[in-house]
Amino acid sequence: MRFALDVYRRLLAVQIRAQLQYPVAFALDLGGTALILIVEFGSLALILQRFEGIGGWSLVEVAFLYGMVEMAFNTMDMLFSGFDPPVFGRLVRQGQFDQLLLRPLGITLQVLGSRCETRRLGRVVQGGLIFMLAVGLVDVRWTLLKLVYLPVVFASVVSFFGGLFIIGSTITFWTVESIEAINVLTYGGHEMMTFPMTIYNDWLRRFFTFIVPAIFLNYYPALYFLDKPDPFNLPPFAPFLAPLAGGGILAAALAFWRFGIRHYASTGS
Amino acid sequence: MSRIIVVSNLQKHFRVFKHRRGMGGAFRNLFSRQYKVVRAVDGVSFQIRPGELVGYLGPNGAGKSTTLKMLTGLLVPSGGELWVNDRVPWRERQAHVATIGAVFGQRTTLWWDLPVIESLDLLQYIYKIPPHRFRRNMAEFRKMLELDPFLDTPVRSLSLGQRMRADLCAALLHDPILLFLDEPTIGLDVVAKERIRQFIRHVNRERGTTVILTTHDLSDVEKLCERVMIIDQGRLLFDGALDTLRERFGGKRALVVDFAQEYDDVTVADAQVIERDGRRAVYQFEQEVLTASELIGRLSARYRIRDLSVREPDIEATVRRIYEERLLEG
Amino acid sequence: MRLFWELVKLSFQRQLTYRAATLAGLATNFFFGLLRASVLIALYGARREVEGISLDGVITYTALSQATLAYLSMFWWYDVMNSVYSGDVASDLLKPMNYFVFWLAQDLGRALASLLTRGLTIMIAYAVFVGITMPQGGGQWLALGVVLALSWLVSFAWRFLVNLASFWTPNAQGVGRFAFVLSWSLSGFLMPLRFFPAWFVRLAYLTPFPYTVNAVVEVYLGVLTGPGLLRLLLGQLLWALALIGAGQLALRAGMRRLVIQGG
Repeated sequence: MRFALDVYRRLLAVQIRAQLQYPVAFALDLGGTALILIVEFGSLALILQRFEGIGGWSLVEVAFLYGMVEMAFNTMDMLFSGFDPPVFGRLVRQGQFDQLLLRPLGITLQVLGSRCETRRLGRVVQGGLIFMLAVGLVDVRWTLLKLVYLPVVFASVVSFFGGLFIIGSTITFWTVESIEAINVLTYGGHEMMTFPMTIYNDWLRRFFTFIVPAIFLNYYPALYFLDKPDPFNLPPFAPFLAPLAGGGILAAALAFWRFGIRHYASTGS
Repeated sequence: MSRIIVVSNLQKHFRVFKHRRGMGGAFRNLFSRQYKVVRAVDGVSFQIRPGELVGYLGPNGAGKSTTLKMLTGLLVPSGGELWVNDRVPWRERQAHVATIGAVFGQRTTLWWDLPVIESLDLLQYIYKIPPHRFRRNMAEFRKMLELDPFLDTPVRSLSLGQRMRADLCAALLHDPILLFLDEPTIGLDVVAKERIRQFIRHVNRERGTTVILTTHDLSDVEKLCERVMIIDQGRLLFDGALDTLRERFGGKRALVVDFAQEYDDVTVADAQVIERDGRRAVYQFEQEVLTASELIGRLSARYRIRDLSVREPDIEATVRRIYEERLLEG
Repeated sequence: MRLFWELVKLSFQRQLTYRAATLAGLATNFFFGLLRASVLIALYGARREVEGISLDGVITYTALSQATLAYLSMFWWYDVMNSVYSGDVASDLLKPMNYFVFWLAQDLGRALASLLTRGLTIMIAYAVFVGITMPQGGGQWLALGVVLALSWLVSFAWRFLVNLASFWTPNAQGVGRFAFVLSWSLSGFLMPLRFFPAWFVRLAYLTPFPYTVNAVVEVYLGVLTGPGLLRLLLGQLLWALALIGAGQLALRAGMRRLVIQGG
C-alpha cells in the first residue's frame, strides 16, 4: 500500500513537472481558470441580487451550495483527470492502455497517476473562498457535528463525480462515439447541484433522487447545515445519506471498471 | 527450469460484428447482431527453453501480435494452455510482467514528455531495481546503445532509432529473463538495424535472456535466430532451425546489378536474367545451386560492375512458397 | 472564388457526417437548455416580465442560446491551433488563397450545417415539447437573418484571432481556454445581458462578445427595434472589421515568427 501511494506520488510529480516546462503558460492557465470562476460567480451574484434570490434561497445560501460543489468537483477533476472519458478514450484507442498493462503496477493507480489537471487548483481555491465566505456570512448555528460532517460531504461529492468519470471511461472500452453525452451527468449534474432542488420540475428531481442520487450529496446536507426546512418531507436522516450516495456510486463505478478491464483483456483493442 | 514457455493448443477467437448497410440494416442491427468468428490463433503449440533466441514470423494478420499479446499477458486466450515461467500470464499479471521486458516497434514504453533519463529513473522505482544493479545496467547499456547523446532529451523529440535504443534499455533495466521484441528494426536504416541486432545478440549470449522476436525482415532472422517459427492464419507452419528452413524452402533470390558500361549480352551460368533495363540487370538464382557471393564472383570476372544489391526473399514469399509447394507434412 | 465555395460545401458536408456527435450534442443542448430554463423560471418567481422579456420569451431564450452556441462554436474552436501543431499549416499556407479566407470558408460551411442540425433542431424540439415564442413580422425575420450572419462573422474573427496565439507559443490551448470561457459571461450565453446591472452591460459592450449570442437573442425576442437595432448591427459590423483587421496584422506577424512543430 505504501509503495502504491509512493508510485502515485511520483507519477503525479511527472505530470506536474511536464506542465511546469512552460511556466508562463501554466501560470496563465492557473490564474485564468481562477479568474473565470470569479467572473462566473460574479455574474451569478449580480443576477441573484437583481432577482432577490432564487426559489426562496438567498444569495449567500446559494453561494454555500455553489462553493461546495465547485470545490469538490474541481478537486475531483484534478485527481481523476486520467479518467476524463474523452481523454481515457484516446488512451485506449491509441494503444497506450496496453503500456499500463505491461507494468507491474495496478491499472487504476496508473490511470489516476497518468494525468493531473493542476490548473483546476485555481478553481478549487476560489470555490473554497466562496464557500468560506458563505459559511461566514450565513446566519446559522454551527455545531461540532456540522463541522465534522462538512468534510464528509466534500469527500462524498468528490467520490460521486469521480465515479461518474470512471463509468464514462469504462464505456470507452466499448465505444468512443457520443461519449460527450456523459457530460450531461458530470457537468450537467455539477451545474444542477449549484442551485436548490426546489426549482426543478418533478421528473428531473426524481431522476436526481432515485437514479442518480445527486440530491443527497449537496442539497440535503445543505438543508441540515443551514437549518432550512425540508420541502419534500423525506425522513430526517436524509441529509446524512451523502457518504452512502457518493460511496455507492464510486463502488458501482469501480465494479464496472473492473468488468471493463476484463472485457478489454479478452477482446483486445 | 527446463522450459520457460509452454504453449499447448493455444486458441484465440474474435467475434467480428458484421455491419449491415443502409437504414433498414441499421435498424436490424439494433435488434440482432450478425457476427463471424475470426480465428486469429487456431491451435498453436510450442515450447521454448531458457536462453533461446527465437524468431516468430508470419505475414500481416497471421496471428503473431495476438500470440505475443497472450504471452505478455495483455490478452486472455479463448482456449488451450499457456505457461510462461511457470505462470499463467493473464492470471498473475503484475508478477508476470515484472519478469519480462517488451519492446514494440510502433509504440514506446517511456513517458512522452520526459527526458529519457527521468523515464528510466521512474522505471527503476516501479520495478524496484536495487541501486547497484541499476547503475551497473545503465553503465553497460549506455555504452552499448550509445545513449549519452540523448539521455536528457524528451522522448517525443527522439528519432526512431534513438527511441528504439531507449526502449531496449528500458526493457532490460530490471534484468528480465524473457524479452519480447515486436518489429524492433522496423523503419530503421541499415546501420541502426545492425547496431540493434548486435545488442540483442549480446543480451542473449552474455545475460542468457530468452528472446522472442517478431519481424518482417528476414535479415533480422538470419543474423540473430537459430530457431524460427512461422505462423500463418493462426496455425504454426514451421518450427525448427533456421538452417533447416533455408535448406528446405530457401528458394530463389534476386541480384540487382548496375553495370559500368552497356553490354549486349550479360548471361552467366546457373542464373537467369529476369529483368533488363539499360545498364541494369536483375538475376534470379537458386540458393541451393549458387550462393550470392559465387554469382557475384562469376559476374565480376566477366563484366565491369558499378553497383549491385541483393533482393532478399521476404517472409510472405517464403510462406507462399511453403503453401504452394506443400513442403510441410501435416 | 470557386475555391471558396468549394471549401464551404466540403466543410458543410463534413459537418453533416458527424451523426453520433451531433446526437450527443443535441441531447446535451436540450438538457442544459431545460436546466437553465428551470433556473430562470425560478428567478422570475411571480414576475411576468423582466426588462422587456416575458417568461415565455426567457424560456425561448434558453433554447436560443443553446442553438446559437452550436452555430457559432463560440467556446470550443481549436481548428487552426491544431493544424499549426500538427504541421498541416505548412501546406495550408501554400494554398493559393488568403489564409484567413481559407478558414473563413471552412467555418462558414460548418456554421451553416450546425445551424441546421443543431440550431434548427433544438428550436423545433423546444417548440414541440416546451413551446417557444417567434419573431413577429417580416421585418423581424429579416433583421434576424442579418444579425445571424454578422454574429457569425464577429465570432469567427474572434476565434481566428485567439487561435493565432499558436503561432507564438506551443501551449496556446491555455490561452484559448481562458479567452473562450471569459467570453462566456459577457456574450449573454448564461443570462440575457439585460438582466445585469447597467455598469456591467456598459463594460460588456466594450468587448465584441455581446455582439454574438446576445445580439441574436435580443433581435429574435424583439426587444431591440428601430434605432437600437441599427446601432447593434452597426456595432457588429464595426467589431467584425476590427477583429478581422487585428487578425490580419497578427497573421502577418505570426507568419514571420512561425515555429512549425511536427509530430
